[in-house]
Amino acid sequence: MNSLREYFFTDWQAMTRADWVGLVIVLVLSVLMFALYVWIFRPGNRDRFEQYRDFVNDNHDEDMKREVGHGQTK
Amino acid sequence: MAGHPTENPGYNLTIVKAFALCAVVYLVVGALVGDIIAWQLSFPTLNLNEYLTFGRLRPLHTNAVIFAFGGCTLMATAFYVVQRTCAVPLWSNRMAWFTFWGWNLIIVSAVISFPMGWTQGKEYAELEWPIDILIAVVWLSYMFNFIMTIVNRKTSHIYVANWFFLGMMVMITYLHVVNSLAIPVTMTKSYSLFSGVHDAMIQWWWGHNAVGFFLTAGFLGIMYYFIPKQADLPIFSYRLSVLHFWALMFGYVWLGAHHLQYTALPDWAGSLGAAVSLAMIVPSWGGAVNGLMTLSGAWHKLRDDYVLRFLVVSLAFYAMSTFEGPVMSLKTVNALSHYTDWTIGHVHSGALGWVVMVSVGAIYHLVTRLWGREIYSVSLVNTHFWIHTIGTVIYVCAMWVSGIMQGLMWRATDDYGNLAYTFAETVVAMHPYYVLRSVGGLLVLFGALIMLYNVIMTIRTADQPKPAAVRV
Repeated sequence: MNSLREYFFTDWQAMTRADWVGLVIVLVLSVLMFALYVWIFRPGNRDRFEQYRDFVNDNHDEDMKREVGHGQTK
Repeated sequence: MAGHPTENPGYNLTIVKAFALCAVVYLVVGALVGDIIAWQLSFPTLNLNEYLTFGRLRPLHTNAVIFAFGGCTLMATAFYVVQRTCAVPLWSNRMAWFTFWGWNLIIVSAVISFPMGWTQGKEYAELEWPIDILIAVVWLSYMFNFIMTIVNRKTSHIYVANWFFLGMMVMITYLHVVNSLAIPVTMTKSYSLFSGVHDAMIQWWWGHNAVGFFLTAGFLGIMYYFIPKQADLPIFSYRLSVLHFWALMFGYVWLGAHHLQYTALPDWAGSLGAAVSLAMIVPSWGGAVNGLMTLSGAWHKLRDDYVLRFLVVSLAFYAMSTFEGPVMSLKTVNALSHYTDWTIGHVHSGALGWVVMVSVGAIYHLVTRLWGREIYSVSLVNTHFWIHTIGTVIYVCAMWVSGIMQGLMWRATDDYGNLAYTFAETVVAMHPYYVLRSVGGLLVLFGALIMLYNVIMTIRTADQPKPAAVRV
């Protein structure tokens, strides 16, 4: 425990302006990142994103003919 | 759901063809130079003259594979995907051709300037200042055309692959410009605007993000379009792809400092780099799982579909590399792995396993569609797949063994604290693995030559009727 406390010891008085700016940026971005995870995985937002799952395969029939026609699949 | 309009919007596919063909040619060139320098490391007498030494050819190899092969692949696929998913032709064909010729001019400049020894000495950014300016101009033309095509789109939604491509373009622009800031002395010599540890930090901020954005984000754009397209299946989770994108954009820029553990860089910066590296395993594996699970219930497709086989194996390598990288960034592991061949093995499992395989899959997919013909030989594609996979595994395993042995020998001491081995002894011990690496590289080169032959023959084969359904 003692060594952990030593490891995480921070001399706040010695923090320069660059250190503070960096710290604030890291914290703000971390919070935003956490918010992003919550927002995306919120069950209520599921359909909002998942409606685009098949976006690239809209022109389905034509593409399947092309797959077979070009020998990429049997 | 916002879909594609059904009418043919008259896509510009000639530019896609040109970039795709160049990518295949540059893959051969990059692999050739790479294997030459691998043999030079095994047998130093192969450093024939000053123009063909390892030191001058090595940046030619890295630039050929990353920017010539990788760049042309990214330009071909981005221009293809943005047109298909936005249902509009490119905003400007002239600008696209400017990008094409400009990019190739840069590659020719690299082929001339590196053997001449004109270099800034910054890894993956060796080209001298006049070429750096040209890169910035050409890259901006690529990005501007891409953005304007999206602006003109007929679909309401911007598909996630375009986000990855755009993220890569934006980040590479400012990474390249800042890292290349230099004071010119002559036309072929300049000195970095930064010095000391600042220069090192800027260099690795660029260096790791060349990997993170150029070689990862851009190729994930390829993955998110070509895997569901080729499998004819919806992506496993669109939510995961959005999370993957933002986490990548947020996280990757912090990682560069992990290249500078145990240096003059402040300790906290290295720790931050390592911590964010570990955090990046989550989105990276989320992305890999997303791609792999897209095939859920349809794994039988891998039996026949040669394109999917490349794409899926590339994801396995992506998952492996994005786990190995964070582990290597930890200070305890880094103390052993840094400056050794383990790093080379790691880089090549990402480059040969992830980047090349996903690119090759996408290019095979494109070639048959763009030229409207069946592939000349499916068995040659299968040969390419196996020869490339085996070559990559041999290469990577040789470097893992060599690197770990190298690190252990370097830090071994006797009871009195003296080094147990001389540097020359470590070099001798690595020799068999260097030869093995060269053999692995040779297999990769053969695979690339097979692909070039197959692609050329596909284009040249005129006797096959064009299927009526072909319309790209």
